[in-house]
Amino acid sequence: MVISTQLYFLFAPILMGIIGLLADKMKAPKLRDAAAVLASLWGVVSVWMLYNSGPAAGEILVFSIGGNPPLGACFEIDMMSIYMAFSATLLGFLVTVYSYSYMEHDTRLTEYYALLSALVIGMVGVAFAGDMFTMFLFWEMMGIASYSLVSFRKDSPGPIEAGFKYMVMGSVGSTILFFGVALLYGMTGTVNFAQMSSVLHGSPMNMWLLLVLALMIIGFGVKSAIVPMHTWLPDAHPEAPSTISAMLSGMLIETALYALTRVIYTLFEPSVFSSTMAVLAFITMTVANITALRQTDLKRMLAYSSVAQVGYMLVGVSAGSVAGISALLMHVFNHSLMKGLAFLSAGSLVHEANTREIDELKGIGRVMPITTLTLFIALLGLGGVPGTGGYISKLFLFSSAIPAGFVWLTVLGVLNSAFSMGYYLVTMYKLISQPTEKVTGLHEAPVAMLLVTVVLAILVIWSGVLPATVINAAQAGAKALVENLANYVGAIL
Amino acid sequence: MDATVLIGSAFALFAIGLYCVSKSNMIRILLGIEMILNAGNLLFVYFASVNTAANVVDPVGQSIVFMSIVTGGCVVAVGLALIVNAYKQFKTTDARELRRLRW
Repeated sequence: MVISTQLYFLFAPILMGIIGLLADKMKAPKLRDAAAVLASLWGVVSVWMLYNSGPAAGEILVFSIGGNPPLGACFEIDMMSIYMAFSATLLGFLVTVYSYSYMEHDTRLTEYYALLSALVIGMVGVAFAGDMFTMFLFWEMMGIASYSLVSFRKDSPGPIEAGFKYMVMGSVGSTILFFGVALLYGMTGTVNFAQMSSVLHGSPMNMWLLLVLALMIIGFGVKSAIVPMHTWLPDAHPEAPSTISAMLSGMLIETALYALTRVIYTLFEPSVFSSTMAVLAFITMTVANITALRQTDLKRMLAYSSVAQVGYMLVGVSAGSVAGISALLMHVFNHSLMKGLAFLSAGSLVHEANTREIDELKGIGRVMPITTLTLFIALLGLGGVPGTGGYISKLFLFSSAIPAGFVWLTVLGVLNSAFSMGYYLVTMYKLISQPTEKVTGLHEAPVAMLLVTVVLAILVIWSGVLPATVINAAQAGAKALVENLANYVGAIL
Repeated sequence: MDATVLIGSAFALFAIGLYCVSKSNMIRILLGIEMILNAGNLLFVYFASVNTAANVVDPVGQSIVFMSIVTGGCVVAVGLALIVNAYKQFKTTDARELRRLRW
């Protein structure tokens, strides 16, 4: 049982808890904050080292514990896993830096940082997992950390209600998923992706396989907020602390979407599920965009916008080709930057003004210009304005549906995207209109918060103006899943 | 034992669990979640005894059941903590009373 040194960062949550407890005993909160930032940076560096030790050249890394893969649990790391893990750790690092100022008036910060670390590591584990059960364990780790973090401010009724709703829906989803895994185990005699794929991929569909597919879509769909399983999201995102909203919206739902994509592409032919996914994509984006239009709460509007973005990403899943998956991956990275930025900037506004109602935030752009500018960049990116990363990835997403034969989906997707500007532009207009008395006298957010939002805004513009790096990485990831599936299977067998 | 009976009872447990989740009492919802999880565990135990190689029960299925019992325990712990806090805030364990957040 040897664990590679590059994977030691997976123990960061435990380490973070111990250091936090020691720092509490020594009454040295700065030590805890510094350790949290270093631990999250450690994740980014380790993922980068893993990338250079094989996946950069198209190799697949396999780490297993407790025997070779049929028996033991394993990590199977290809380019797509690295891509997702890098997005998660990068956003985790930026959110941790932001938390330093944002959470300074809260108590129980040791628990907060340990759970935040567990959330990030859970996402990385889901991305790395090489068998269903490793994936399920990290999935539950991510889930349990996020249930606790959503209801972190337990002294008011809102977070408790949102957290309870999220806990019930999330754990029903993961138990349904577990039931599906049990049925798959009965059919194939293994839980390893590669072995299941060699048994099931290309075999004709029967009633049991359709049942498994349905259980997988429901189980993963609850966490990735596919309509009609999305109802937890618009409650949980606004009520959580803004840092956690950024993590949930920026990476958690995308990690769930990644897990769904990985499982159904490994086990089934794309023709089995592509029309289902196309219909789900259409329903998800339309329902979310129409509901977002009637929100008065800034963070709630952003939460519905996340559901709509999941709908756009499902277009890529339904395409069933390298183009579709690479567009999905591009949008995952860009969305993690844009939605992270939107929630963090909105968090700065809410932190200073102490209200989430858009009408009460009127004119705040005149007293907090930099934060509002970064929020504008995020909203324009989410709407898909050229010059931001959102434009590039939406262009690729919607054009990937045409070769797959879903021209109607492309048309409806573009219309939805244009429709979504309806609520982004109204919000932007309100934020810079004539100030109300409530917002005059406020001042700009603290430096650490400002720094993170500005860095994220620069990254959003960078991925829109010079998109080659992201496009190449995303295409390498998509090829690893779709075209080189035989390599993925061959690395184990 | 007969495969139909065992798989059928797992599905029955799954259905009972889903029924419990649709109820209004928070504790009952939590027990429903546990029931769905145990339906999965039951299937794993049964399939592990079917996938025998050299007269040994498949260790993969058995170890998965142990680990899933542990994660199920964690979910219940978080759920009970949330119910205690919900009782402090709302003075009830009726999930229908938690309806401040709509739309």
